[in-house]
Amino acid sequence: MFGERQRPKTPRWARVLARIEDGVLVLLLSLMIGLAGAQILLRNIFQTGFTDAESVLRLLVLWVGLLGAMAATRGYKHISINVITRLLKPRAAVIAYAVVDLFVLLVCLFVTYYSARFVMMEFESGSRAFGRMPAWLAESIIPFAFGVIALRYAYSLVCNLTQCFRDWKAG
Amino acid sequence: MLLGLVLIVIALLGAPLFAVIAAGALWGFHDSEVDLSVIGIEIYRITEIPALQALPLFTFAGYLLGEANTPKRLVALTDALLGWMPGGLAFVALTACAFFTAFTGASGVTIIALGALLYPALKQAGYPENFNLGLITTSGSLGLLFAPSLPLILYGIIAQQLELPRQLSIDDLFIAGILPGILMLVLLTGWSLWVNRKRHRPLSDFSLARIGAAARDAIWELPIPFIVLGGIYGGFLAVTEAAAATAIYVLIVEVFVYREISLRKLPVIMRDSMILVGAIIIILVVSLASTNYLIDANVPMLLFETIKQYVSSKFTFLILLNIFLLILGAMLDIFSALMIMVPLLIPVALGYGIDPIHLGIIFLANMQIGYFTPPVGMNLFIASYRFQKPVMQLYVATLPFFFILLAAVLIITYWPALSLVLLG
Repeated sequence: MFGERQRPKTPRWARVLARIEDGVLVLLLSLMIGLAGAQILLRNIFQTGFTDAESVLRLLVLWVGLLGAMAATRGYKHISINVITRLLKPRAAVIAYAVVDLFVLLVCLFVTYYSARFVMMEFESGSRAFGRMPAWLAESIIPFAFGVIALRYAYSLVCNLTQCFRDWKAG
Repeated sequence: MLLGLVLIVIALLGAPLFAVIAAGALWGFHDSEVDLSVIGIEIYRITEIPALQALPLFTFAGYLLGEANTPKRLVALTDALLGWMPGGLAFVALTACAFFTAFTGASGVTIIALGALLYPALKQAGYPENFNLGLITTSGSLGLLFAPSLPLILYGIIAQQLELPRQLSIDDLFIAGILPGILMLVLLTGWSLWVNRKRHRPLSDFSLARIGAAARDAIWELPIPFIVLGGIYGGFLAVTEAAAATAIYVLIVEVFVYREISLRKLPVIMRDSMILVGAIIIILVVSLASTNYLIDANVPMLLFETIKQYVSSKFTFLILLNIFLLILGAMLDIFSALMIMVPLLIPVALGYGIDPIHLGIIFLANMQIGYFTPPVGMNLFIASYRFQKPVMQLYVATLPFFFILLAAVLIITYWPALSLVLLG
């Protein structure tokens, strides 16, 4: 279900990054709403429309979706099944969280690396997504988003391990 | 096999499902010696899916409605229209909740936004506490079968990605959901009337003046159902157009006409709504990869062959399907359940001669109950938190409602015509 974990204190770099992400997210969603609205008017009243509007809207879904997913990572708001951790004692839960964090970090690093390679190949081939939009630029959000999610989980892992270490020292 | 077990354990430990699915897909590609860069191609395939804009647009509109005073106006209007009937307030609660959930998705927002208004009102009208808790918790997922509910749209989008004998349209799903949805409403209303048969005193008198006043208050919001329902059912607007029109209309009305959402708050609502969308989209993109791998590996057919060995009749298959979906619905939220299971289930169901549209309605009707199936149905926790009652009490309170909706699900499952008759 939706996150119930306490989040660690956010450092300055993370707050700045979050603000930039939010800004871009709001901008792109506004663009999506505006473009979709303009398209209805143009199609129904003037029987015309922007070329590539449909392609732009579909690309915006990917960008808005992945930016939303990056934001979801901040508050542990990804969809998950929280059956076991709910029942664990706080100390055991910290260890479970550390395992989870490490797992997500590794998976996201893999996706980042391999999707970045895909984007590089597209860059070299010079292909276009639609109109004049270079394919690599349209796709670049994929490694970027998974990279940022990996970064957030790496930070969460460090915080969790520190907590584990403190618990262990405290006996 | 071992990897599958590890992934299940990691998922149960609370790992985000997108990471679990992505790990499975990466491993699958690695296993069949495909260059892993294919993950980028697979994720980018999401831009080939039409109609997906409807998801962020409807979600945003739903969040706006939840943040404004719309729930209050909706309850006031439904109360004026229906509150004079015996057992009227229960009917008011069911209708208002179904309506609100259809528009906002069953993300728990109905319980939070409408429950806060309806729970004290029901209490004041003298309904017993457990009845009220059960009613509100159950209503939190009622309305999933009515347009433009997000799970219905998502089911259509996922089904369209598969090769079906006949192309399935989201509009057809919207029509197929009408009668099953009404069946649920009617059964629950009947139960409410029966339980409260001794309480004859209606909440209020029928008054045209009151209806007029409530309608005047909600005058700007009254067109919203017409934009969506009229647009889609009437064939004037495609689903994506209806979504865009709704988002823009709601934005203008709540921000500039009612002025209940300040321009300063707008970006926060935009972001919060997109967090939900992002959580769904990231699962969707990695599911595209894993589903593609599963289909390449012929898993749905193998699954069908295996089940076919043990289950020969369609009837038995449907019983097993119901049990399976109920458990699934209690464990997984509706969106991940859709994205993970539908690509596997549709080919199997087709093998048993079940219409994919009918399957969609069965799937969502089961999931709707899953929302409040013990021990982990999400709405039980949301209601427990919202009304400060122990989860155990909610298990008990929702039990009668569970059985009523279970009866509805069985009728929906074994009487396909109920879903398909309006499609002709």
